[in-house]
Amino acid sequence: MSSPLCTGFENPLGLTRRSFLNKLGMGLGGLALADLVNPLHALDPSALLASTHFAPKAKRIIFLYQSGGPSQMDLFDYKPRLNQEHGKELPDSVRQGQRLTGMSTNQASLPLAGSPFTFDRYGQSGATLSSVLPYTSQVADEICFIKSMHTEAINHGPGVTMMQTGSQIPGRPSFGSWMSYGLGSMNDNLPSYVVLKTKGGKGQPLTSRYWDAGFLPGKHNGVEFRADKDAVLYLNNPQGISRKSRHAAIEALAEMQEKQLRETSDPALENHIAQYEMAFRMQASVPAVTDMSDEPESVLQMYGDDVKTPGTCAANCLMARRLAENGVRFIQVFHQDWDAHANLPSSVAHQAKLTDQPSAALIKDLKMRGMLDDTLIVWGGEFGRTNYCQGKMTADNFGRDHHPRCFTMWVAGGGVRGGYSHGITDDYCYNIVQDGVHVHDLHATLMHLLGINHERLTFKYQGRHFRLTDVHGHVVQPILA
Amino acid sequence: MLLLFRILIASTVITGMTALQAEVSFNRQIKPLISDNCFKCHGPDAKNQDSEFRLDTAEHAYADLGGYFGIVPGNPAKSELVKRLHSKAEDELMPPADSNLALSATEKKLLEQWIKEGAKFEPHWSLQKLPAQVAVPTPAQPAHWALSPIDQFIAAGFAEHGVGPAVETSREKWLRRVTFDLTGLPPSLAEIEAFKADPSPTAHETVVDRLLASPAYAERMTTEWLDVARYSDSNGYQRDGERLVWPWRDWVISAFDQNMPYDEFVTLQVAGDLLPDAGPAEVLPTAFNRLHGHVMEGGIVLEEYRVEYVADRTHTFGTAFLGLTLECARCHDHKYDPLPTKDYYSLTSFFANIDESGLISFFTEKTPTPAMPLSTAEADAKFAQAISEQLRAIKKLEQLDHDPAHTEAFETWLQFHRPTVTWPGLVGHLSFDAMVNETLANSVDPRTPAQTSTENKIVPGKFGQAMEFEGDALTHLPNVGHFQREDPFSFSVWLKPHHIAPRENIFSRGAGADDAASMGYEFLLIDGKPTASLIHFWPGNALRVQALDPLPVGEWKHIVITYDGSSKAAGLKLFLDGKPMATHVVADHLTSSITDWMKIPADSDRQHIVFGQRYRDRGFARGQLDEFFAFNRELTAAEAQQLFDGEHLAQLLAKDTATLTPNDRSALYDYFVATTSNDIREIKQELHAARAKWNRTMDALPTISIMRELPEPKPAYVLERGAYDAHGESVTANTPSALPPFPSDQPRNRLGLARWLFQPDHPLTARVAVNRYWQLMFGKGIVRTPEDFGSQGRPPTHPELLDWLARDFVSSGWDVKRLLRQMALSATYRQSTVISAETREKDPENLTFCRSQPRRLQAEMIRDNALAVSDLLIEKIGGPPTFPYELAVGFEPVDPDPGDGVYRRSLYTRTKRNSPAPVMVAFDAPKRDVCTVQRAEVASPLQPLITLNGPQFVEASRVLAHELLTRVGGTPSTMIEEAFYRLTSRQPDADETALMKNLFDIQLAEFSEYPEEAAALIAIGHAPAPDHLPAPQLAAGTVVVNALMNLHESLTHR
Repeated sequence: MSSPLCTGFENPLGLTRRSFLNKLGMGLGGLALADLVNPLHALDPSALLASTHFAPKAKRIIFLYQSGGPSQMDLFDYKPRLNQEHGKELPDSVRQGQRLTGMSTNQASLPLAGSPFTFDRYGQSGATLSSVLPYTSQVADEICFIKSMHTEAINHGPGVTMMQTGSQIPGRPSFGSWMSYGLGSMNDNLPSYVVLKTKGGKGQPLTSRYWDAGFLPGKHNGVEFRADKDAVLYLNNPQGISRKSRHAAIEALAEMQEKQLRETSDPALENHIAQYEMAFRMQASVPAVTDMSDEPESVLQMYGDDVKTPGTCAANCLMARRLAENGVRFIQVFHQDWDAHANLPSSVAHQAKLTDQPSAALIKDLKMRGMLDDTLIVWGGEFGRTNYCQGKMTADNFGRDHHPRCFTMWVAGGGVRGGYSHGITDDYCYNIVQDGVHVHDLHATLMHLLGINHERLTFKYQGRHFRLTDVHGHVVQPILA
Repeated sequence: MLLLFRILIASTVITGMTALQAEVSFNRQIKPLISDNCFKCHGPDAKNQDSEFRLDTAEHAYADLGGYFGIVPGNPAKSELVKRLHSKAEDELMPPADSNLALSATEKKLLEQWIKEGAKFEPHWSLQKLPAQVAVPTPAQPAHWALSPIDQFIAAGFAEHGVGPAVETSREKWLRRVTFDLTGLPPSLAEIEAFKADPSPTAHETVVDRLLASPAYAERMTTEWLDVARYSDSNGYQRDGERLVWPWRDWVISAFDQNMPYDEFVTLQVAGDLLPDAGPAEVLPTAFNRLHGHVMEGGIVLEEYRVEYVADRTHTFGTAFLGLTLECARCHDHKYDPLPTKDYYSLTSFFANIDESGLISFFTEKTPTPAMPLSTAEADAKFAQAISEQLRAIKKLEQLDHDPAHTEAFETWLQFHRPTVTWPGLVGHLSFDAMVNETLANSVDPRTPAQTSTENKIVPGKFGQAMEFEGDALTHLPNVGHFQREDPFSFSVWLKPHHIAPRENIFSRGAGADDAASMGYEFLLIDGKPTASLIHFWPGNALRVQALDPLPVGEWKHIVITYDGSSKAAGLKLFLDGKPMATHVVADHLTSSITDWMKIPADSDRQHIVFGQRYRDRGFARGQLDEFFAFNRELTAAEAQQLFDGEHLAQLLAKDTATLTPNDRSALYDYFVATTSNDIREIKQELHAARAKWNRTMDALPTISIMRELPEPKPAYVLERGAYDAHGESVTANTPSALPPFPSDQPRNRLGLARWLFQPDHPLTARVAVNRYWQLMFGKGIVRTPEDFGSQGRPPTHPELLDWLARDFVSSGWDVKRLLRQMALSATYRQSTVISAETREKDPENLTFCRSQPRRLQAEMIRDNALAVSDLLIEKIGGPPTFPYELAVGFEPVDPDPGDGVYRRSLYTRTKRNSPAPVMVAFDAPKRDVCTVQRAEVASPLQPLITLNGPQFVEASRVLAHELLTRVGGTPSTMIEEAFYRLTSRQPDADETALMKNLFDIQLAEFSEYPEEAAALIAIGHAPAPDHLPAPQLAAGTVVVNALMNLHESLTHR
């Protein structure tokens, strides 16, 4: 697996870096550190696709990943029948012998549980939403709710891996890595795939493998921006080294390499210098994008009070917008702890409070900036939750187990049909009645909106042409605007 | 000729050497083309393709398709295939437009030419037997260049393609190259100087032999093997707990160090446990098969993951030893290679026959079974002592039977002291007669009643009332039955099942079922059959006996379970209605603790006996229990009968001595021995103590997952579409049909499989191995796709060389050092990386090996180089994983080692699948999910941040700068010269030194202005910051050395 960059002998544009610079009238030294952001690199020469398969509707994705599996019937998919039959046994005719997790498969009884929350209709589209989502309700007309999502996985590890990579078994490249590989970067001072995590998130562990590039070149790994001093590994100079000192060192390095380049004309040297210059730019551009002190109060208020605490879902949603503005292709915001096996009424309300306002604010904020048209926002987790109670059911408390057979996700923005609800589940919120959307279908559809034919973005590894959608996936036409 | 070569290279699709023989070569030119472009729909996977036309064999390709023919040998014009290649009609053109595939004009011409020449098919090159002999060519040119047969093959390729070799590289660069390749470390300056000064014609040999003999060689080879073996110090998947596997890694180091022949090295890893008289030394290597991920996520379906582990072992075997992409055949017949799904499952069944679980226990964190203890001499001595003490006690017991004093004591007891029925050792009793405040009275200890809840009901029972269980509601009896595996114990209970179920928990002690590997003891009904078990880790480390017949539904039945503390299934007995039950032994391998729950608090109710329910397990729904008794000793048969009928023992005890039958006397003797004899009590205590000693010694030993073959192979099936529960056709262990047949004189197990692999003319084993080692030395393999020798892989650039090397490797007794030595001493290896623009244009991919391949140092080498040049490297071999600085900024941060660990070679760095060492990953070290035989090499801006800012590199720069500035006569310029030399193995020229001296002056000026900044910089790292050099001086030196460390030349291997 060789990359054009590692040998420098082959360049899709047919230009070595030096000749590229010469054509622009700049010598090598001329570029060196001249500016931090170079607007000339609009086209990433390392991107796989010289152009997309068809005209893209969206340029970037912000994926608000809700880890743990949000409860669809307590948030989006209103099922009064469950309230009517609250406490009664899940009918065998509904379950149809489907497998359950090892946690409730041995339970002697599976009593149905109605939602503790009230539902109302919102917006011109009349979307039905739970009382714990007051802010999402305000932007309901921008959103397309997919109520018929389904997956095979019944546990978190396989479920998240499926949503992230299109396979339940770890090792395949993540969605964001595929997009970075296929579409390349839109900037030259930030990574093309950035991951943000709610800090101190409890619940099911998130692992860096969920945003790994798998067998794709390592530069397509998701880069986690952490809410601490070094947003990126060893981003900052070591203590005692000033930016000026570093600048001098990089210049000296560049001069050393340039001297060798003159003697050997080895293009690998050019690439080496380019990486050092990019690293130097990142040292400035990453803090610039992560420092939110320039945001006006009105914007901060939109995201809610939490936004002032780094690492909260609110702060990460705002950071996602800033990254989007700065040319990051794929931004994934992970929020944990939707795994309501017990104490569901309080825990769903709590997670909704942490995520509802900032998720809605992100839609509004992008819209105000005219960026909603070419930004896709995706909201959801690895699966849904059961209509029956797991563990002990009391008058005001219960839990729900994992449910892969139906769950809700929403998408908004670039090329998506807002104010629309796709797919129908049965009255028990157990099975899909109409228009099922598999995880592969979601991937295919999102890729379509980015201008990619999901069957044609492939990578040959160990003798096989791999795809994000494996050998599956259909574009879900009705949700396209 | 040259023109054609250029065209083919330019077409970018032709892989491998495009031969210029008069005749088109099927294997080299046609096969890759049709495989990549046609086989997806016209290949071996006939079941799953729409078209009937197949292009994978001559028979299919020439077939009559109903008046027309895909291929008519010798006649392109009549071949439908050719027509379709050029068709203007969208629905006729091949490959079709929507396939994302297209053939160039040259490729189309090549296909036509091949058909014109007769469309000859050949078996795939890599599936043909390794030839017994391979002739070495004798090309005339380049004259006086070849040093070895390797070079003669390479030179023949030069002649064929009109290129010549690069000049010989400098001695320094050759030494740097060979030292990194064979040891992963840079040469020292002394080694460079010595080599430069060695006028002997065997100077190169001297170097190579020195390197091969060094311990660093074994570490370097091990690093490569860890990628192959997907080695990780953690279990992967979601929970990713750490595990102890480094003793296996240390075994690999020692194997390379002693130059273990490759066949032995692999056989031990694949099947060491099956070798005759296999001991720990043979079994430890089999951990290779268990280095895959293990799930510890409660709720998964166990069988799904057990199947996954078996698949992982098989895929690793396939990639590592066969160079085949077996996993393609998991769901359907392979699309490109002759590997039907049935062959795939026949092969996987070799790897399935161990007692393993798909889930690691969350509540015990014990090693997945089968596992072996890692013993020590001290522990072995204790084991020996404990066993001799046990034997002594058992012998004493036997002797007592013949001891007149003992016989007399029994007779006296029989005559004068027979008691009425009493129950010594009774520790708990529940009558289930009443529930008071959700408690049940324990008549043995009224202060600790059983806890239950009103969901369970008190109902009319066998004696008075009984309890009917709801199935999910907890009932537990505190502080009773806390037995270890050396403690004898017994239970008695009446039960009435409501129905027959696959599994019902009657009572048990433990932290749960699958989530705790069922550790503890348990009494279940499985399909209605009484089943008693003592378990460390189900199923691989447990005792289980099971009744042959189910209990009747709706009737009260009486069960007694007795256990003698022996850790043997023979010591675990079941009685039904007072009579011994007909049982069979399901498991008889208990060697470890049954009480070591690590994640539940000592006061948890799950520490106690639970009834009719268990954590995440199936309860005794609507079943009833009555009169539960627990004893801390093994009951006798007469007592079991008494507990059932309430009179048997009482009658015996009351019976006139004169009327006692021999059976009566025997039963009473057993009762006497069990309850009364003081002599026996003492000896039993000795036996108990000896067993406890053995058990505690074992409990204290670490364990490692290995292979231990089951006596009978597990039933194996084709799994339809790869789904774990979709059993199709039955299969038995067999090797793939496209490869040589399984030898008739070998057992159908992994050992037979290993023997098959090392048949001297096996088409793949030796080719795959020598190719991997060629890649290690030359950067690229002779087969550029070392993981895929199938149709989708690239054909060898030098097939005869590959065969010659492979045959030579086999003939040498699979001698790895000899193989590497030949490569290192070749003229091919001595070439410079620099080449003329003209040659580079002719052969951009270096398919002719007409130069050396420049390579970025591998991740481990980059860090080890910094440690080596600064003399910080601690050259200690093996041991537990280390925690260098970078782990403090990993995904799950941990503190770095306070001592040597931060200076050990990177091969020892703790590898955690979900939180990999960030520096290693940034430099393309694989994540070790799957067997990896080739690393990526990609440049990214995240790399400079590491080598410029990472404390490991800053500290190494500072330490080196300090050494060079403080030595006698040290100046900034001498520092620059020597640091440059150490880092690049080359001395800088005057310009380079001047450039760096200028940087030093700039830095010195700044640090002199801000001395506190200098002090901060030189404080980085654990190595003490000396105080006899001014801080600004040292800080400036640190920056300069670090800049040199970041030169392309320092990070590259030329």
